[in-house]
Amino acid sequence: MTVKKRLILNLFEMNCVSHITHGLWRLPDNNRERFNDIEYWIELAKLLESGGFDAVFLADVIGTYDVFRGSADTSIRQGLQIPNNDPALVVPAMAAVTRHLGFGITFSTTYEPPFAWARRLSTLDHLTKGRVGWNIVTSYLPNAARNFGLDGEIDHDKRYEIADEYMDVLYKLWEGSWDDDAIIADREHNVFADPARIRPIFHDGTYFKVEGPHLPSPSRQRTPVLFSATASGAGTQFAGKHTEVVFTGGPNTGFLKQTITNIRKAAVEAGRRADDVKFVTQAGVIVGRTDAEARAKRARYERLSDPEGYLAHSGLTFDPTRFPPETRLKDVVGEDGNVGRRRIFDPEQTVGEFLSSFGDLTRHALFVSGTPDVVADAIEGWLDDVGIDGINLTQYHSYDTARDFIELVAPVLRQRGRLRTEYDPDESLRDRIFGAGDRLPDRHYATRYRGGAHLPVIGQDSALPA
Amino acid sequence: MPAVPSARPRPLHFAAFVMNTTGHIIQGTWRRPTAHQTDFNDLEHWVGLAKTLERGKFDAIFFADVVGLYAPYRGDERKYFEAGLQVPSNDPSVLASAIAYATKDLGIAFTASILQEHPFNFARRISTLDHASKGRIAWNIVTNYLPNASRNFGLEGLTSHDERYAWADEYVDVTYKLWEGSWEEDALVQDRATGIHADYDKVHKINHEGPRYKVEGPHLVTPTPQRTPLLFQAGASEAGRTFAAKNAEAVFIVSPNLDAAARDTADIRSRAVSYGRVGEDLKFFQGLYIVPGSTEAEARRKAAELDEWIDYDGQLSHMSGAVGIDFGHEDLDTPIGELKTEGVQSIVGWIKDLVPGRPATLRDVAHYTATNSRIVGTPEQIADALARWQAAGVDGVNLVNAEIPGSYEDFVEHVVPVLQQRGLMQREYAEGTLRNKLFGRGDRLPDRHPAARYRGAFAPQPA
Repeated sequence: MTVKKRLILNLFEMNCVSHITHGLWRLPDNNRERFNDIEYWIELAKLLESGGFDAVFLADVIGTYDVFRGSADTSIRQGLQIPNNDPALVVPAMAAVTRHLGFGITFSTTYEPPFAWARRLSTLDHLTKGRVGWNIVTSYLPNAARNFGLDGEIDHDKRYEIADEYMDVLYKLWEGSWDDDAIIADREHNVFADPARIRPIFHDGTYFKVEGPHLPSPSRQRTPVLFSATASGAGTQFAGKHTEVVFTGGPNTGFLKQTITNIRKAAVEAGRRADDVKFVTQAGVIVGRTDAEARAKRARYERLSDPEGYLAHSGLTFDPTRFPPETRLKDVVGEDGNVGRRRIFDPEQTVGEFLSSFGDLTRHALFVSGTPDVVADAIEGWLDDVGIDGINLTQYHSYDTARDFIELVAPVLRQRGRLRTEYDPDESLRDRIFGAGDRLPDRHYATRYRGGAHLPVIGQDSALPA
Repeated sequence: MPAVPSARPRPLHFAAFVMNTTGHIIQGTWRRPTAHQTDFNDLEHWVGLAKTLERGKFDAIFFADVVGLYAPYRGDERKYFEAGLQVPSNDPSVLASAIAYATKDLGIAFTASILQEHPFNFARRISTLDHASKGRIAWNIVTNYLPNASRNFGLEGLTSHDERYAWADEYVDVTYKLWEGSWEEDALVQDRATGIHADYDKVHKINHEGPRYKVEGPHLVTPTPQRTPLLFQAGASEAGRTFAAKNAEAVFIVSPNLDAAARDTADIRSRAVSYGRVGEDLKFFQGLYIVPGSTEAEARRKAAELDEWIDYDGQLSHMSGAVGIDFGHEDLDTPIGELKTEGVQSIVGWIKDLVPGRPATLRDVAHYTATNSRIVGTPEQIADALARWQAAGVDGVNLVNAEIPGSYEDFVEHVVPVLQQRGLMQREYAEGTLRNKLFGRGDRLPDRHPAARYRGAFAPQPA
């Protein structure tokens, strides 16, 4: 009998009120609007660690959703990812009250020079003793571009080109700039670090020019666990080369399977193994002790679910509420069914059908509602039949969603051998996910810079040209 | 020298001057068996220190930072690695939320260069931390004087001094617009019944367009307890003083003596008045290094023992690398006035007050970078000395360490009680934000600060 695949369990979070379940912040006792308070994050981190979660996965955007109806009106009214706060900065406080919980932090490669971000992530990896992951994004909001001095978005494929060079700079800093034995801390001879084992990177590329050396010493994981979320062509190629955990999405399980196949293939083409990449998918779970309890809970959530928030979130370039429901979608957006942000819908469906999916909590590739056994059955199916490795749990209610999962679902998954019974002590996030140590495997592109390989040779007299 | 004033003094403010690295100001002391500076990668190291400081009623922990290596010394950067002199170093800002959670009143000041981050992102990070700390964040605004740091961010070399301050002027302007002008005070509604989270009509884009930045907005974060964080600045140059006079609420100075402190504080205060502010809008923090003992003899013995650990070559390298003049090949007994290098005059000016009556040498420079503004004595003598600094116009102390946490534990245990007794240090924290704790007049910037002009500035004008 083969070993059962164990679930990677993350909570999907964002440092804002309305992340992905719009309207539900209004639920009684929902803590969403406490996100400004550090105590919110402390309580959450402790809860997740008590339940054996692998990580909290923090989404982020750096602009507002202002395409729908031509303004940010709907987003601001809904609390739809505005206000929103920086995700990286709440991590140290959560790290201080936990020992095992991992942290997936979203940051964009498009608008900021890479040097400061490389340093910040290394600092976080030191502070957490190797519990940090980075969700690499390239940003898709036009307003984000205009917040950073551009007139509009950079073309999608070019963003991935920038991201690829950005990664190259970071790998040089993380993997190549400092040798493992560079810190000597020799008190007697007054040598803290050995300059011969530390080097600048002299990166000089199309988009970035960075001298180095990296300022922090090597952290436990060096390169944090690399996440990315994509299914596009450029994104697939990027994930094949760089990503360790792909955050996959899509309209149905067939799409998920195809994405997994494509990215594994891209990974192999990039010289990696197919199983060097894990797949984590956003999943909705509404669980009750009885079927009736689950149904009642779902009904409470559905009652407040607000389609307006989903419409604004989708960045629709048109307002479907202004058309008669029987209008064909293709007559509004054209034959390709592109409704904005590269989202393709069936052009033959009516606007009414199209609209009905917005705010419907069940319209996700992975959704289950029912008793703990029903939920566990579904999750086993996702692991074995769809082929994913883990879930980013959608929050309907903070903290009920996580608490319900911990109290009702986790014990059943443990019984079935699908969830670890306890954390291994003193494990890095990468080691927990892949079981092969703290660092990237040798076949990952980043490791080509180890020991200063593929970096400019440095003169013996001078670490840097004067 | 001003006399010890007889009137009961106001409490001075105290900040702990630290850096997320091994060798900050006093080089070589990391080797002492009791020193833990090398633990700077650990969260516990900083949380523990923050708790000690709060126990001692310190106003703030103040993190220095640089984003590159110092300029070559003896031809290269070898010395900085060997001494752990500000390399390796970690980002200080990410320590803030953990420190905020572990403390209740301690202010958290950190240095961030305008070089390292776009102001839109930076403003958001500061606001996030001001929320997380309930209004205890201070930003030490710096430009950058290290060529390597410039080259880490894609530039060919240092931006000229005046251009750096023009850059800083626009950078803070963008952040002021985001912090003060983007969200109206009552924009956040959070009405569960109607489902209205925020009032769209009270959230504004800033549409900044300047020579260097173009930023649309709105700010992504709601107004924080302080909105604009407490603004720290340290600039001794002409442009730096002007910038401080316009913007700073707290100024970090390292005046070589009381007369210079009196001169510096009076100068910057009078410049502030010319910008429509009042002298009391600025608090001056003098960098000081304090070695206490239960008797003067014991204090002197401790200081002498610490001196044995000081790496004077490291001290000289720091000065050398900071001003960009390589003293590494010079004889230590060379009178500095004889060096015909451009830029050396600023050091000559600084050292001549410390070495009266004979030509100062490089050895003096090395010595005084470690011991300048050092107070060695009993707690009572330290209190007397601090009272004299106060009389010279200084409002607070940025306390340098030889050891972390030892220097601060020593200070909290032995000096703080005496200072409190003398009325030179607070016994309890004031309520509210860091700004209110320091100035006692509310959480927000006063109306005469340049940032305040953006309040309500982006709201649609009534027809």
